Amino acid sequence: MSTLSIGITGLNAAMVGLTTTSHNIANQSTPGYNRQVIVQASNFPVQTGAGFLGQGTNVETVKRVYDQFLSKQVLSAQTSTSEMDSYLQQINQINSILADSTSGLSPALTGFFDGVQTVAANPSSIPSRQSMLSAAQSLTVRFQALNQRMSEIRDGVNSQITSEVASISNLASQIADINQRIIIAGAGNQTQQPNDLLDQRDQMIADLNKEVRVTTVNQSDGTISVFFGSGQPLVVGADSFSLNAVAATDDPERMIVVMQAPGGTTVQVPESQVTGGTLGGLLSFRSESLDPAQNSLGRVAIALAQTVNNQHRLGQDLTGALGGDFFSVSGPRAYANSLNTSGASIAAGFSATAAADLTTSDYALAYTAANTFVLTRLSDNTSWTGTGATPAAALADLMTPAKAGGQGLTLTLTGAPNVGESFKIEPTRAGAGSIAVAVSDARNIAAAAPMRTAAPLANTGTGKISAGSVNGPAPPNANLQQTVTITFNNPPTTFNVNGVGTGNPANVPYTAGANITYNGWTMQISGSPAAGDVFTVSTNTSGVADNRNAVALAALQTANTMVGGTASYQAAYSQLVSEVGNKTRQVQSVGQAQQALADAAVAEQQKTSGVNLDEEAANLLRYQQAYQASAKVIDISAKLFDTLLTLGQ
Amino acid sequence: MRISTNMIFDAGVSSINQQTAATLKLYQQLSTGRRIVTPADDPVGAAQALQAQQSKDINTQFATNLDNANSALGLEDTQLSTLNDVLGRIQQLTVQAGNSTLTKTDRSAIAVELRARFSDLVGIANATDGTGQYLFSGYKGSTQPFSGSVDGLLAAAANDISYLGDDGQRTLAVSPSTQLAISDSGTDVFMRVAAGNGYFTTDYAGGNTGSGTISTGTVTDPVAWSNYANKPLTVSFSVVAGVTNYTVTDSAATVVATGAYVPDQAITPAGLGISFTLSGTPALTDTFTVAASSSQSVFRTLADLIGTLESTTTGTAANAKYQVDIANALVNLGQANDNIRRVRAAVGSRFSEATSLQSLNGDLDLQYAQTLSTLQDLDYAKAISDLTKKQTQLEAAQKSFSAVSKLSLFNYI
Repeated sequence: MSTLSIGITGLNAAMVGLTTTSHNIANQSTPGYNRQVIVQASNFPVQTGAGFLGQGTNVETVKRVYDQFLSKQVLSAQTSTSEMDSYLQQINQINSILADSTSGLSPALTGFFDGVQTVAANPSSIPSRQSMLSAAQSLTVRFQALNQRMSEIRDGVNSQITSEVASISNLASQIADINQRIIIAGAGNQTQQPNDLLDQRDQMIADLNKEVRVTTVNQSDGTISVFFGSGQPLVVGADSFSLNAVAATDDPERMIVVMQAPGGTTVQVPESQVTGGTLGGLLSFRSESLDPAQNSLGRVAIALAQTVNNQHRLGQDLTGALGGDFFSVSGPRAYANSLNTSGASIAAGFSATAAADLTTSDYALAYTAANTFVLTRLSDNTSWTGTGATPAAALADLMTPAKAGGQGLTLTLTGAPNVGESFKIEPTRAGAGSIAVAVSDARNIAAAAPMRTAAPLANTGTGKISAGSVNGPAPPNANLQQTVTITFNNPPTTFNVNGVGTGNPANVPYTAGANITYNGWTMQISGSPAAGDVFTVSTNTSGVADNRNAVALAALQTANTMVGGTASYQAAYSQLVSEVGNKTRQVQSVGQAQQALADAAVAEQQKTSGVNLDEEAANLLRYQQAYQASAKVIDISAKLFDTLLTLGQ
Repeated sequence: MRISTNMIFDAGVSSINQQTAATLKLYQQLSTGRRIVTPADDPVGAAQALQAQQSKDINTQFATNLDNANSALGLEDTQLSTLNDVLGRIQQLTVQAGNSTLTKTDRSAIAVELRARFSDLVGIANATDGTGQYLFSGYKGSTQPFSGSVDGLLAAAANDISYLGDDGQRTLAVSPSTQLAISDSGTDVFMRVAAGNGYFTTDYAGGNTGSGTISTGTVTDPVAWSNYANKPLTVSFSVVAGVTNYTVTDSAATVVATGAYVPDQAITPAGLGISFTLSGTPALTDTFTVAASSSQSVFRTLADLIGTLESTTTGTAANAKYQVDIANALVNLGQANDNIRRVRAAVGSRFSEATSLQSLNGDLDLQYAQTLSTLQDLDYAKAISDLTKKQTQLEAAQKSFSAVSKLSLFNYI
């Protein structure tokens, strides 16, 4: 009898082995699957007079080959890899648009200044002027196109954040579900584990980890709790919390992550705490690369507009009128935090020296205490504090040159803020998207200077007067075009000045070649004027062939007008290209290193837990033979019984 | 070592992917001819290339400006050369007019030709460039600079041709630091011409009756003359003890020179640094003036000459005046010619500056091109050899994957 039952135990064990092997083969390519093996042991023997008799075999459990340490390594490597992947995917878009030698900003910038030079060469030619206008149009279109591309990338990032957050919430609730099922499956019973449920849960956690870096804690009831950021819970036991993407209170164009607490209240999760995974990659791409790049492009547009306008307004157009603005560009964006209750608002503008002073950072303005404003530059967290008798006085104090006056901004307060309210200022974000050509008629290009100098024929000395130039910044002096007469005294070592706006100074000492400045112009007299010689400065009527202002405009191309007077437009743009290039390169190489780490971790984990079909083939044969052998045992045992039966016949 | 079947497939796919990506990169480089396909390939090089490209573009623009400057200067020089020829012809006619044997008819004939030359002068002064801009009007490119006629100028001694332009000198930027002047104002070319010998002018009084003439004079000490305040000087005559004396007084009625009048003897007022000669027999009431030189336009000079030639007055005094006028016309024309030569010399030096800048510009262009090439151009030999290497590696990866993936125990059971 015992032979038969031993045979049956062997048959059963071989059957479980075959089932497990088939299961392994079937799941060979299932993501997250850990191979399973049977744990087989011999049955408790029966003591007889002849010693202990074996009672066959039994399968104690089917266990998965799983190494928690290796799995954690895989998780950690993969979250970094997917962070770098999503970062790289985004920054590659900027990298490739800036690169192109025909579609980047550079050719359009050069084209514009070529247009200015063409006007300088032929100031009275309408076709030349038209070509400068067209080149300026191309330049603004290029600025707008590049900015548009970046805005599209920003929209893409915003919508990806929304879908990432939805998928994180979804995964969290699935993990909570599976936790529930694991409790029901009795995972508290430590001997029999629901292997496939555990594999599924691990795979979900791995998927979740690819979206955002999470930490897990195993609970005694077999469930796993999942946390992200600085310990915000996503899954606790069978409960999950959901995340939402909403517009930031301080910037309606910026989607941020908020946590939906069980009570229905929402808590904003600071961006710095959401790291790793696709979501972390998106957020750090936005703050580290997209914001600075778009701001940097905007800064070039704003500096170009401001400096060209300043020079253009010092000139005179073909109709004899003073030049107006050549480009138009919108001012800084200032948002009141939507949680503010006072209704106070901040109007931001550019200071006269914005071209040189502007940075590529955004700013936060906080009303921290009564009559105290704090402005923080977000790129490096430098802050300035202004105080005064009133909120407006505090803001004025804040914007003095000794404090935040050197940031290229002017801020004006309307209304009375409450303590704790804040504002966000984005000085250059809208620059590239809003630049446009303000001059529509080619005749309105101010190529000439509004004043000219002359020496009457009656002069007997050898004194010569230079062509003169108009002093910046715009607007030019109101008396610029007044006729001013300079008459040399006897002896001709001094001269008298006569004209509206000059104050008619007498006996001004004469130094040959020295600058003589009145009414917003500067010129030089050189040589030896004779007593009684006269020099005049007057309005430049009909000066259509004068190109002095066009030449001054053309000189802006290489003038170091930006970044505190250290960079030209092209240099500032090159800086942007190089920053994006460097960051891309860095992300590429870090991404490659992370990928290699992840590959190594997966390989290590697969070595232990992966299915090897050759091995399973061998196992199939092994269990098949064990099955056949056990069946033979039963056969023999039946034959033995038959032998007994035949004895009685 | 235990290997999972998935690993074999993953590793194979991943290595084939890597090789394909590297091959694609090389293909992009080869097809664009650029080492830097995106800024990430070489961030510093990409930024430098942008700067170098801008320098090269600006340099190209300067080359265009130099071409423009050359053509503007060439146009001006052509006009000045014609002007030189016309003035030469006028000088020739003036010398001819100084011949004392000429009849009244001969003089009129010369005057007729001079009137034609006057029109030539106005024509040159109002010349335009290819775009219809006046060459000699300063900044007022669309304003015709000169207007006036011989008769208008002869109507009154104070009349001169109207100059409607200004003193502006057009310039072009031809290098980062150089503004090249490409025009001269009409004032400088035609009007700002010192009359007489350049320091002073001599003339007779209109009511002179004698045959006395005054030379155009010379300057021995320009500074002394320039510093002398009480100009003009007047020469008058008196008879003392039967001898004709001359007296030179300044504008403050101070006598600066006096002595017995000897024809053709130089009179040199002490400390004034000038010298002039009286000839012929002046009447006692006759006077001559020596005044500081002022600017006189070439048109005024020519109109005066035409007036002299067309004058109908005859007699001793008229002859004497005629001689003085012709002499003054000659010296004034000489001054005008000197002035044109000065302007032409300036134009010429600008030409040579433009030429040397053009050669510098060419050199710079080459240098920028080399810099750009070093920064962004592809080393084809290396890239092609790399591509071949990558292709081999890719093929090896594909073949080995195909071989390894076929290995399975299931093939044998």
